[in-house]
Amino acid sequence: MQFQNETMNVKITKGLDLKIDGGATDTMLDFALPDLFHIRPDDFRWLTPKLLVQPGDRVQIGTPLFADKKEERVVTVSPVAGSVKEIVRGEKRVIEEITIVRNCETALETLVDFDDPTDGESARKLLLQYGLWPCLRQRPYSVIPNPDISPKSVFIPCFDSNPLAPDFNILMRDKEEHFRHGLKMLHLAAENAPIHLCMRKDAENELFETVENVQKHYFSGPHPAGNVGTHIHHIDPIGKGETVWFIDPQEVARIGCFFAEHKLQFGKTAALTGPEVKATGYFQTIHGADLSAFLSDSLTQKDVRIISGSILNGRKLTDNPTLSFHDHQISVIAEGGKREFIGWLLPGLKKWSLSHTFLAWLTPKRTYAVNTSLQGGRRAFMMTDVYDKVFPFDLMPLQLLKACEIKDLEQMEALGIYEVDSEDFALCELVCPSKKECQKIVEDAIFELRTQN
Amino acid sequence: MRKFNALLDAMDTFLRTPATVTDGRCHVRDAVDMKRIMITVMIALCPALLFGWWNVGYQHFLAIGGETALWPCLWYGFLKWLPLVIVTYVSGLGVEVLFAQIRKEEVAEGFFVTGFLIPMIMPPDVPLWIVAVATIFAVIFGKEVFGGTGYNFLNPALLARAFVFFAYPSVISGDKVWISGADAVTGATPLALVMNGHPEAMPSTWELFFGTIPGCIGETCKIAILIGAAILIFTQVADWRIMLSVFVGGYATAVVCQLTGLCPVAAHDQLLMGGFMFGAVFMATDPVTAAHTRNGKYFYGLLIGILAILIRTLNKGYPEGMMLAILLMNIFAPLIDWCIVQNHIKRRRKTLDL
Repeated sequence: MQFQNETMNVKITKGLDLKIDGGATDTMLDFALPDLFHIRPDDFRWLTPKLLVQPGDRVQIGTPLFADKKEERVVTVSPVAGSVKEIVRGEKRVIEEITIVRNCETALETLVDFDDPTDGESARKLLLQYGLWPCLRQRPYSVIPNPDISPKSVFIPCFDSNPLAPDFNILMRDKEEHFRHGLKMLHLAAENAPIHLCMRKDAENELFETVENVQKHYFSGPHPAGNVGTHIHHIDPIGKGETVWFIDPQEVARIGCFFAEHKLQFGKTAALTGPEVKATGYFQTIHGADLSAFLSDSLTQKDVRIISGSILNGRKLTDNPTLSFHDHQISVIAEGGKREFIGWLLPGLKKWSLSHTFLAWLTPKRTYAVNTSLQGGRRAFMMTDVYDKVFPFDLMPLQLLKACEIKDLEQMEALGIYEVDSEDFALCELVCPSKKECQKIVEDAIFELRTQN
Repeated sequence: MRKFNALLDAMDTFLRTPATVTDGRCHVRDAVDMKRIMITVMIALCPALLFGWWNVGYQHFLAIGGETALWPCLWYGFLKWLPLVIVTYVSGLGVEVLFAQIRKEEVAEGFFVTGFLIPMIMPPDVPLWIVAVATIFAVIFGKEVFGGTGYNFLNPALLARAFVFFAYPSVISGDKVWISGADAVTGATPLALVMNGHPEAMPSTWELFFGTIPGCIGETCKIAILIGAAILIFTQVADWRIMLSVFVGGYATAVVCQLTGLCPVAAHDQLLMGGFMFGAVFMATDPVTAAHTRNGKYFYGLLIGILAILIRTLNKGYPEGMMLAILLMNIFAPLIDWCIVQNHIKRRRKTLDL
């Protein structure tokens, strides 16, 4: 498809905003950076790590911890200076995490010496060398991009429409200059591929509005208006064999800071949200920082689920909760599982549902304190129209899910699998009356697809 | 006890919502599940059922010349319906539980509605053993052999009715079963009479609409069916696209039949006669056996409407074409979907220039 060199206004009509309590208030929370860091290879999809450190090794900011076995130029580095305490392995000796004890006396940023890049290749080389390359991800597959393949375009989602999502204006505070410089370097690294900034229409986008040499697009409507999959689909859809990069604005600023000031740092602003949080707000952290102490003071009760990311597609954190590499939000909701007597028959004044089968539709403005109950048994696909209501793609969600379920790769390709990823099916999973794990079905299928390609 | 796992589990989750929590990527879930959807369909069926009870009694007392007071009529109908529904549920759920046990799966709720529907589309005086045989046949061969609820392509309730019609024509045929407990009285449905050359038997439009005519328990009162339709559409349990297109297809065909003189009945009366409306609202909209694609649903509905009226008009032997039309389109629904999906793929290829 020909690239459209113009601003686009896209109105999303299919989708929904889950109204729940616990959005982040505009306050900075008191967060003391802990000593303990847990770096998890699992933060990067399907990455098989090749360990580069041993327990006891001293590490600096930027010391490679592990490389991608399939592409050894891609390394993940230590975000702090300290020493490796432990390599935690799981089943089949899979590396689950690398535990690092931070040396509290050292700074959280380090100066590095390099010649400023003049072409794409040298820029990519520097990003790879200093562990900033994994900030980028590519569609299809949402994996770290192959450094040898230039993308046809780069997408930067400038707002998040997930439930309780943080405000990007707060996340990007004091990072304006770095963001601008980061865009320039990204342009260079992507071999001048067009950069698309996708903003919420009629919202405050001061920072994003002032940057130049990018395509600006405006999205309105409910979630998933802010998902990068939605943006790509409406602006520059991906066909077979094409690659698109996407990156979070905070990571662009990090890259900008690196090239402008030669400073390597991994700090980021994240939001603490959810109905089970005493005081919501924002905090300055580093991915991998152990949040146990911080969270134990902030929660209203013990029986909760802590999620890195949003409640629709985040990662459940059990021991040693940390913020994942690509996330900017911690959500906390109550664990469910309370059994209700003839629950399927009760009027359901406080039950959230997209359908009008519960009387809660009488109060459309109320917010809900949701929990993790599955609220039903797993069944075969039965209702055929529910997914269409929350799936703003020119694709057939039910047929695509069925093709994914049986891993019919040819049919998946024909139905447009390259344009979507598991997170695009988050709302389908949310509303599915058959309680299907739509995101897992898609993830497994595209894993198969990638292996075959 | 392990042998009864499926049964125990079904009873357990029937009484109390399951304790399962989410373990996938999406940590919260919509409160709706298949049980809730099924119970909503049953609530939507209730007005038609209540009227059906009354009408069975009313037709009975009318035929034997008794008084037609409200409560005796209701009670009489209820007593006629009760054994039917018990037999249906016991036989159908028995098969369901057995298959769930063999497959080590949970009992799917599909049969709640199927078992509720079957007595409503049977003539009131149908022998109970036939109901049991038909139900078991429909559940096994309509559903379980294909993998259970969600994998079936024929509407099990309609299959039960079709089974009775084709397997026991001598028992169900004739006019005896349509008015309960009045063997001596000829009580054919108005539909059958009109189609077989007795236009004078045609009830008024109002009678057709209100439902004080002989017929299946659930199908006579169009007001009650419309209330049910409103519930289904509002709760988003059934697809309005199908209902609408069935009516459009049916009405258009009825108008053509009337104008060409094929059928003496007025087009609007056609829609009110027999099981057309009941089928359009409660049978054609079964999400599993209907077309699955949005656009496919329009074709599916239109063809049901057209076929139902055509069968009714052209085949005097069996005036009730709705059942056959829906079953036939159940079979064609996957083909409709296939065409829609292929068209979608082709269109996408073109716009994406792949």
